[in-house]
Amino acid sequence: MADGGRVGVTQKEVLDELKAILVERLMFDPSRVAEVTSETRLPAGVEGSLGLDSLDFLELSITIEHRFGIVIDGETQDLTETFFSLDSLSRFVLGRMGVA
Amino acid sequence: MNEQRRVVITGMGTVNASSAGGTDAVLSSLALRRSAIRTVRTFATDGCPSRLGAEVEELALTTRLHPDVGRRLPRVCQLTVVACRLAVEDSRIEGGPQLGVVVGTEYGDIRSTVDFVEGFIRYRHSGLSPMTFPNVLMSSMAGAAAIAIGAKAPSVTVNQATVAGDLAVARAAALVAGGRATAVVAGGVDELCEALYRRLAQMGALSPMRGMGVEGCHPFAPDHNGPVLGEGATFLVLEDLAYARARGATIRAEVLGAAWGNIPTAPHTARRSRADAHSPVLRLLDHSGIAPRALARCYGSGNGDPEVDDWERALLARDLPDDSCRPGLWPPVSLAPLFGQHAGLGALRVAAGALDVTQGTGPVLVHGIARGGCRTAILVGSPV
Amino acid sequence: MTGIVVSGLGVVGPYGAGAKTFWAGLAAGACPIRPITLFDTDGFRSRIAAEVPADVVAGLVPSRRRSRADRLALAAAHEAVADAGLSPRDLARAALIVGAIGGGMLEGEDWYWEETRTGRPSPGIGALRSILPSTHAETLGHELRLGGPKETVVMACASGAASIALGADLIRDGVVPLVLAGGVDALTRICFMGFNALKLLDPEPCRPFDRTRRGMSIGEAAAFLVLEDAEHCQARGGRDYGKLRGAGITTDAHHITAPHSEGEGMIRAMTLALDAARVTAAEIQYVNAHGTGTQQNDRTEALALRRVFGDGGVLVSSIKSMVGHTMAAAGAIEAVATLLTLQHGVIPPTVHLTDPDPEIPFDCIAGVARPSQIELALSNSFGFGGQNATLVFQK
Repeated sequence: MADGGRVGVTQKEVLDELKAILVERLMFDPSRVAEVTSETRLPAGVEGSLGLDSLDFLELSITIEHRFGIVIDGETQDLTETFFSLDSLSRFVLGRMGVA
Repeated sequence: MNEQRRVVITGMGTVNASSAGGTDAVLSSLALRRSAIRTVRTFATDGCPSRLGAEVEELALTTRLHPDVGRRLPRVCQLTVVACRLAVEDSRIEGGPQLGVVVGTEYGDIRSTVDFVEGFIRYRHSGLSPMTFPNVLMSSMAGAAAIAIGAKAPSVTVNQATVAGDLAVARAAALVAGGRATAVVAGGVDELCEALYRRLAQMGALSPMRGMGVEGCHPFAPDHNGPVLGEGATFLVLEDLAYARARGATIRAEVLGAAWGNIPTAPHTARRSRADAHSPVLRLLDHSGIAPRALARCYGSGNGDPEVDDWERALLARDLPDDSCRPGLWPPVSLAPLFGQHAGLGALRVAAGALDVTQGTGPVLVHGIARGGCRTAILVGSPV
Repeated sequence: MTGIVVSGLGVVGPYGAGAKTFWAGLAAGACPIRPITLFDTDGFRSRIAAEVPADVVAGLVPSRRRSRADRLALAAAHEAVADAGLSPRDLARAALIVGAIGGGMLEGEDWYWEETRTGRPSPGIGALRSILPSTHAETLGHELRLGGPKETVVMACASGAASIALGADLIRDGVVPLVLAGGVDALTRICFMGFNALKLLDPEPCRPFDRTRRGMSIGEAAAFLVLEDAEHCQARGGRDYGKLRGAGITTDAHHITAPHSEGEGMIRAMTLALDAARVTAAEIQYVNAHGTGTQQNDRTEALALRRVFGDGGVLVSSIKSMVGHTMAAAGAIEAVATLLTLQHGVIPPTVHLTDPDPEIPFDCIAGVARPSQIELALSNSFGFGGQNATLVFQK
């Protein structure tokens, strides 16, 4: 996924990769992640969310950067909306890949 | 000198290879006297000079941990959090600025350290995991436990070979006696992981040491030939007697005193001939006014490592000659054959002593000595 | 009840060996944070640290089998003990508490990298014997023939300060009259990689309290204090660098890396220390801050300082701006700096501070050391994940 897949990458493919990251890097149980949809909220403190905190988001960002070959600049930008749901996150990734 | 409060034990929690739960679980695993040492199952031991270990049943851990909590916790932190929670529930103590934690550990989170390093070695920068790195610090278990039980007084980790759990209980007793906390959840944790096991076996630190004899844990026996590793977490709630009484806690036993010291010797060595010029055992007995003859039982840290066993025997023989003690005090009781060597043993020994005194025995001495000379002594008795 | 005095000091750090060298560097506002030479840093965002200079390390106790961290520990501990004028008899009863995190991990990494690179067992496996944090206490206990209570304390970045506080407790509780307490950490790849991965390191030397600060700089050091019962010290004619009046140790119990957003645990640590010392906040003239240079720490620490001292109510500086964050040694090396501040009547500066953060309303001694007669000072160490220790020192 990381290096060659820019052309023709779909949101579904990005979502699937994000789900894989949730299991492999954020240590979610595969059965939990199987239930997750693009509407699933991410941040802790939001009803029904996956409960991710700042450390989770850092792990997620770094992994996304490497796997998709993009840069997420958390220092100068407010990424609260970006990281709100898997939908917003996957759209952001597509945007950065120059696909969406 | 600072006013010293009296310290009592009001709760226990354990996840070990034999049992998991509160005081009842500790009691049943001690009473059963059944060794949890068997051939290691969770990783292959091919090509390894040792094969035995005492492993925690995975369900004992996973059924006690909510997935949301357990997700981010590496296994050694999971063991710590579960055991500390069990102890706190057993004690019915509340969290807050008066509750502390002291975690003793010999190896900390080796697994996470290896994972973190391997991530980089295999995948370079893309393999670095910011989530894993905090677990490389040995203080991570105490940190996780403090969050889980709301402990806002000191949360301390003590690192020591063999007697880490004993040292943790002794330090916790000092924190309570000296007023830094009203109660402290204290004990020890270590986990068995392949990287650690293989290296220790390779370095000749496990039975059969020097490849001699049959592999097994036989403290103080003529055929002792090394320790067998175990894993688990055991924690006790140590509490200021006045507070325990005021809240109607169940008081299991009193920590009549706790002392520790050092016998200068080269790191990793245990020399039977090295005497202790400032024995913590003698200091303790002197301070508490308890005569050696009053001691009902002695638990020791001897775990089958021949040099440690022999040194412990020699030290105790000097401090407490046969004619000054009740018969049957020697050799000290070792819990290593039941649970395997790990930092949880120290708290298990103190727990065993506490359970002895609730059955009406006289005071119990929990003794410890490690390679390198760290020596501990904890006296457990019936609260008056 | 007699007090606790500090009767000996020992330091090996990024300026070199010895407490005198250390003070000279601080007073001059010198910053030894530079590109790392100990290992490859290719591809990392931040590639600098405050290393102990190679020639200084080469000049320490003969190395052969000892880890870098053990050698730093030995040098600093020997200096402290000699400075205090302790006899073998004193040492035989003295307690030892060492704050440590990395242990001999640097050499452990060398061995592991070698094994992985060659695919064959490396003879350097002996390094594993010294890998754990307890290695320093084992080495020092033996080399210095210390026969009192021996302990290794791991409390993240507060380890060095916690050792001093817990060591003092042994004196206060009547266990021993003498304690050798301190902290040790050598640079390791793991620490370097880990803090880079967490994006907590500034690619340039850190700028605590500056509005545009971008993170920490890591460093390495060993620092030891001899703590002594005041009457015992007086009776033997020992030195007096100042009194340890009190200490506070707390836990945020909030998050494994981030501090409590209101600095709750930090406030409690300072308040407990002041209570133990029986001094009011108004009597404290100087705070040697934790001051790592991360946005989060400095902001939270400032909030806590405001609550305890009031805006501008005390002078503040961070020596991490010069010697970096020395991890387990930090609390100890900063305790030494605080005592030397009292002794010399000069406050070490916060260097690289050119654009003070308006949310940090304190005079942070920007750029240049300031002569100032200080009687009472406080030193903060606020560790990763909310493990806090504060010490109060009096001249």
